[in-house]
Amino acid sequence: MVSGIYHTTYEQDMALRRTPAQKIRLVLVIALALIFPFLASRYHLNLANQVGIAVIGAIGLNILVGYTGQISLGQGGFLAVGAYTAGILTARYGVPWWLSTPIACLVTALVGMVFGIPSLRLKGLYLAIATLAAQVIILWVVTHWKTVTGGVEALVVPAPTLFGRRINTDFNFYWVIWGCAALVTLLAVNLFRSRFGRAFIAIRDQDIAASVMGIDLFKYKLLAFAISSFFVGLAGALTAHYRTIVTWERFTMDVSVTYLAMIIIGGLGSITGSYFGAAFMILVPALLTNLGRALKSTFPIVEGLIPFFQLAVFGLAIILFLIFEPEGLNKIWKDIKNYFRLWPFSY
Amino acid sequence: MSRRQRIIPFLLLAVLVLGACAGAAPQAPAATEAARPKEPIKVGAIFDLTGATADVGTPYSEGVKGYVEWLNSKGGVEGHPIDLISADYAYKVDQAEALYSQFVGEGVVAFMGWGTGDTEALRPRIAEDKVPFMSASYSAALTKMDEAPYNFLIGTTYSDQAIIALRWAADDWAARGNSGKPKVAVIHHDSPFGQSPLEDARAFAAANGIGFTSLPMPRGATDYVAELAQIQQFGANYVIVHTVSSPAAVLLKNAADQGYKDKMQFILLNWCADEIFVNLAGAAAEGVLGAIPFTPPTSPVPGHKDPDEWLKSKGSSLEAKGLHYSQGWWTMAVMTEGIRRTIQQGKPVTGENIRSGLESIQNFDTGGVTAPISFSPTSHKGNNALRMFKVENGKWVQVSDYISATP
Repeated sequence: MVSGIYHTTYEQDMALRRTPAQKIRLVLVIALALIFPFLASRYHLNLANQVGIAVIGAIGLNILVGYTGQISLGQGGFLAVGAYTAGILTARYGVPWWLSTPIACLVTALVGMVFGIPSLRLKGLYLAIATLAAQVIILWVVTHWKTVTGGVEALVVPAPTLFGRRINTDFNFYWVIWGCAALVTLLAVNLFRSRFGRAFIAIRDQDIAASVMGIDLFKYKLLAFAISSFFVGLAGALTAHYRTIVTWERFTMDVSVTYLAMIIIGGLGSITGSYFGAAFMILVPALLTNLGRALKSTFPIVEGLIPFFQLAVFGLAIILFLIFEPEGLNKIWKDIKNYFRLWPFSY
Repeated sequence: MSRRQRIIPFLLLAVLVLGACAGAAPQAPAATEAARPKEPIKVGAIFDLTGATADVGTPYSEGVKGYVEWLNSKGGVEGHPIDLISADYAYKVDQAEALYSQFVGEGVVAFMGWGTGDTEALRPRIAEDKVPFMSASYSAALTKMDEAPYNFLIGTTYSDQAIIALRWAADDWAARGNSGKPKVAVIHHDSPFGQSPLEDARAFAAANGIGFTSLPMPRGATDYVAELAQIQQFGANYVIVHTVSSPAAVLLKNAADQGYKDKMQFILLNWCADEIFVNLAGAAAEGVLGAIPFTPPTSPVPGHKDPDEWLKSKGSSLEAKGLHYSQGWWTMAVMTEGIRRTIQQGKPVTGENIRSGLESIQNFDTGGVTAPISFSPTSHKGNNALRMFKVENGKWVQVSDYISATP
């Protein structure tokens, strides 16, 4: 029986997975992710892929908001930059998808840096408004710069292929999306063991103190915007190649708020939390829709009210989770783990 | 935090998981199915009941559902009942995609969509899955056969609506004894939906010597006085309004306040020319013209009889529900006609066969609700004509016969 987790060496302290239980869980999760597509229907694969893309985007946003403390309402705009860059390169210039995706990430990182410049002078709510401007400006450009984005009309992207096989089916793209998600997770987790990640956290906790310690605020804040936007751009580019069509209406203000909700509900400053938040924001509405459909056949009288109930329940779930666990789903997960670690002799 | 409090998040989680199980449980087959000799035909549908366009999405959805119930009460299509699988997608593209793949997984052979966002986003998927798709987005981009081979349009396209409005303006200008050509301004929603007819309208105006300008209605604006001043400066004789009902009502109220309504004739295209606009604009709506592809119930035609009787049997009426109800009703009716033809030809009811069934439709009569609908293997544009209506005493009254965009 353990009474706590104690590290006796620096290696142990720095390790990503510190206990045997963590290692077993990781293996189980990976095994489950590998088996899942063979058992799931197209609908469930579609949901899993949506969650995967959202996870990548949420990790990106979490690096900026959760770890560096720079609030951003420009998520939808940055997703649009990724999606349109990848889409335009592939559709107009015939760049293969596996090349246009990293280029889109770099372009989004650059755009993110440009819109991150105000962060040096602005904080908190003021920065939120400055990044809101990014959202509005980017969408305006997307819908009005006709020669580049196509403006009014949706941008149709050729279906991505690999070795002559079309890969944007729900099954094939599952591997691409979750492969990317795994890579992003690994990068993000390791980022916060590095000098850069520590600097980000120092800036979040007290930027003046960080600056006194010799952290170049300008450099690291821009870097946070760049890294964050890089991942967000990846999510956007994957959306473009997966859906093979890029439309303006996918990247509205709504999306920015949804992503912020994801990381707040999941847990700010936590990679696992990004997973929980993305899954919550995508799966709960789907569950409620299914629940509504099931109720529809049982209680046909309330049919007209069900969509409103769904919205109310979704809102209520968010509020309740935040009231009872303001640190997000990730904290609930930690509590569950702690509970079972000492079970049945918890105190 | 006490231990009891700590349990609450777990409980919440448990409730959600239970919800998940309930959601995943297979649905009980409808009791009526057993009584019917023939297999039901599954049609998927997504509606906006809670999102940004719920005001018009709700009556449209009721029209689609109403038609299916009415048809099934009459014995269905060739004896097969239609099983309409529908859900609200709150005007969110992601949810539309999830629902689409779910419904296709459940075996739907045709799909009823709604807005521009979801119709555009699903375009490649429906072509791949070979699922005929009808929605209430009438963007001319959807008539491109190579990019959208499974999209069918029931309404006159936005481009054709704008061209018809331009033609009407030119004729009206001449009929009033004016010399030369009129000047026309198009004021539009600042979105792909709003911009969609601009290029075609500009080309038509240029070819016919009509003075033309266009300007967007800024998103989130509370009044359009500045835009109206620009239109006035341009010297517009006619103003084509392509937006949704509530901004159009604001625009017309501003125009009435500023005294512009006597100087220029306002012509609304279909998503703002409805009962909602008339209710919101009140007196400012009087004398406004509408280029409406779906005849409003205030101007009765034979095609209003069935939906009206069906609604009256439910204690409502078509007049109360408005033109979007009959829009949904007749869109579903055309889809059903494609299914009927497939069955009559003795082919299995698959998306591909329904597509060819739909493509064989020539001059399908919607009882005057729309111009007759025709499809062919080279064109999925249902019609290119509509009638002009005018608001008189708070009601849309027909003022012209069918005007075609291509004479």
